[in-house]
Amino acid sequence: MSIIFIAVNLAFALIISPLIDGFERKIRARLQNRQGPSILQTWWDLIKLFKRPTIEPQDSVKPLYKLAPYITFTSILTAYLIIPTLLPASTNFIGDLIVVVYLLGLATLCFVIGAFSSGNAYAQIGSNRDVSLFMSEELLLAFIVGTIAVIGKSLSLDRLFPLPFRISSVLALLLLFLVIYVASTRLPFDIAEAEPEIIEGPLIEYSGKHLGLLKYSIFLKRLLLYSLLLDFIIPIQNPIRLICYLIGTIILSVIYSTFEAYYGRFRIDQAIEILKRASIVALIVWMIAIVGW
Amino acid sequence: MILEILKSNNAKILRHDEKVTVALIPNDKLRTTSELLFKAGCYYATGAGVDERLLGVGFSVYHIFNCEAEGRYIIIKAVASNLRIPSITPIISGANWAEREVMDMLGIFFDEHPEPLRLILPDDWPEGVYPLRKDFHYNERPPRVEFKQKREKKPGVIEVPVGPYHPALHEPEVFELCVKGEEIVGAVYRGFHVHRGMEKLAEGRMTINQIPFLAERICGICGYTHNCAYVQAIEDAAKIEVPERALYIRTILLELERVHSHMLWLGVAFHLLGFESGFMHTWRIRETFMDLAELLTGNRKTYGMNLIGGVRRDIDENKKKRLLEILDKTKKDIREIFDNATQMRELINRMKGIGVLSKKEGREIGVVGPTARGSDIDTDVRRDHPYAAYGDLEFKVPVYKDGDVLSRFLVRYEEVLESIWLIEQALDQLPPGDILNEDYELPEYTICVGATEAPRGEDVHFAIMGEGNRVYRWHPRAPTYNNLPAVPIMLKGEKLADAPIIIASIDPCFSCTDHIVIVDGEKVYRCSLDNYLGGL
Repeated sequence: MSIIFIAVNLAFALIISPLIDGFERKIRARLQNRQGPSILQTWWDLIKLFKRPTIEPQDSVKPLYKLAPYITFTSILTAYLIIPTLLPASTNFIGDLIVVVYLLGLATLCFVIGAFSSGNAYAQIGSNRDVSLFMSEELLLAFIVGTIAVIGKSLSLDRLFPLPFRISSVLALLLLFLVIYVASTRLPFDIAEAEPEIIEGPLIEYSGKHLGLLKYSIFLKRLLLYSLLLDFIIPIQNPIRLICYLIGTIILSVIYSTFEAYYGRFRIDQAIEILKRASIVALIVWMIAIVGW
Repeated sequence: MILEILKSNNAKILRHDEKVTVALIPNDKLRTTSELLFKAGCYYATGAGVDERLLGVGFSVYHIFNCEAEGRYIIIKAVASNLRIPSITPIISGANWAEREVMDMLGIFFDEHPEPLRLILPDDWPEGVYPLRKDFHYNERPPRVEFKQKREKKPGVIEVPVGPYHPALHEPEVFELCVKGEEIVGAVYRGFHVHRGMEKLAEGRMTINQIPFLAERICGICGYTHNCAYVQAIEDAAKIEVPERALYIRTILLELERVHSHMLWLGVAFHLLGFESGFMHTWRIRETFMDLAELLTGNRKTYGMNLIGGVRRDIDENKKKRLLEILDKTKKDIREIFDNATQMRELINRMKGIGVLSKKEGREIGVVGPTARGSDIDTDVRRDHPYAAYGDLEFKVPVYKDGDVLSRFLVRYEEVLESIWLIEQALDQLPPGDILNEDYELPEYTICVGATEAPRGEDVHFAIMGEGNRVYRWHPRAPTYNNLPAVPIMLKGEKLADAPIIIASIDPCFSCTDHIVIVDGEKVYRCSLDNYLGGL
């Protein structure tokens, strides 16, 4: 039974995550006084990319360059086995919280390695930025994971969903909200891909199927992070969990896309400065959690 | 004072009136004269070479200085002896490009020029063929020659090309940035990829009253101001009295063009800083100004309004009323969006202290327009050399001291509001009467100059009248030509992330700058040009 549920969850994620991006594009367009494309547009874009031929740049390290999109995609997909999305089913084991963090890290790492091996100057600058952003984001995430583990007294996700209502858990979730925003490469934190500055950075040389896979992974990662945050909030055995989950996802995308529409892009040093400050806050929250508030 | 400088250097004064002084300088005094003029506060506007062999003179070079203090342009002429002439670049670095252009186009060699390299002609252009000489026919196409590009790789730096295809700059040009980590350690500009041969075309094929329409096509954003500058040059030469009403209509259109151009730039700036909502809303407001232009001229852009001696369409009471109504509404819109933008801390932080150009460097290069005014250089052609109706109207020239991107941003923002105020004044005071004076005679071989304050800075059109309704030489100089050499200075030591906004901060208009010679592909050239001329 559980395996069927997990399969349903995976199918849901694969179908819905580009739709969520289409929805967010529509919201941003309305805020910017534009009509905006149809909600299905992201799907059409992906289908078009998968039909197109892929080209490998001459200077690239070909095996790495070709492998990177697949590993990125599968590592995000694997994380879906652990985090319940639509239905409350997942494979659980002790320490799966850490595994999720590592799977997300693996995805970013492969993304960066693929970009580095393309041999393009813009891609290298983009991956440089991606790594520095990832490092500062990781520190913050580590503190949040620590706080959550202390609050739930466990490293297994099924014991942590949902978090008990405490000062420290509210603060930790607020910080998680920020990390998710940063990790989902949105303005003002889309520094690694900044289109007018370094022409989509790491993605510059990718084309066709590979580009499609990388874009698809970004959409999947966003939905995964939404689900993670919602799972910490919504009680897992609640009969109306499904409705709460769907409404929660929509609310999150509205909030995130509104933020995105009203911000200019940070420079990498400004972004790192903000994340550093947030890390200090996270450290304090962790201490609060230890005290038991 | 200027006259004394010229006279003390054995100059022969060829023309001296309210607006223009033309003097012939002996070659050995050229440098000292230029230095004295520069020290007296005249900055280098542009230079042009002329093939005057048909007039029995030989090859000559004209250096044009803008003397703000006396409100006049000073043109010093020197005749090349044996195709050689002393270079003034060692004294005034702003003359660098102008002199190299003359070298490329006319084959005059400048002695002691610090970098006598090709600037405008492409690498596959044969040696010894000079397109602006009178014996070169305007549709001649010399054979291509093979060329080898030599490139050296520097260790430890990544070379990042910004252009010729880059989403931040939608025009053909290259900035080669040497980057260490995120820091820019060096920058080189390579431009002049798109040459349209307008000067040659005007001299070889067009009549005086056709050139305004060609001049308007120098730029797709600020075309009307080029058109005005050319028309003013001819009116200056022929001493044509332009009806007052025509002058006011020109002022209204010039300011309308400035608002639309600045709004365009401000939108692009927001886009480059990643503030997409600001970009979209700014361009929504800009649309209103395009509609206003359509209301007045029938065209959203490229108005086609000027003829020598006046304008082609009148503004009636109905249009005037609608114009004022719409202006009133958009003014509030503009204020709202910019008040919001200037309160966004992260947006302001990304512009503050970045891409600094000091006053001294700016003066040496001869930067113009908002780029100059952002660097504490108080210059504005509208005020210093009043043309159209600017002498009668009241306006402020915003000047900021910091010389960074934010200063240039704020200068442009204030100018938008000033421009709207100017349009309102001009509409209010619009005098009655004719709009076109066609009763004039054209003099032969008169040197003249026309200047306007384009949205990007001073536009200078230098012309020599020819025989029978033709120009002998026409040399337009777009403001970006003077502003571009400042960009590598601004870029040095900055972060790569800031490069697009710094390059964009001078509001570069590469198509304006690259108007010089015919080197287009055969097909493109034939169909577009012949169709265009057939329509005239």
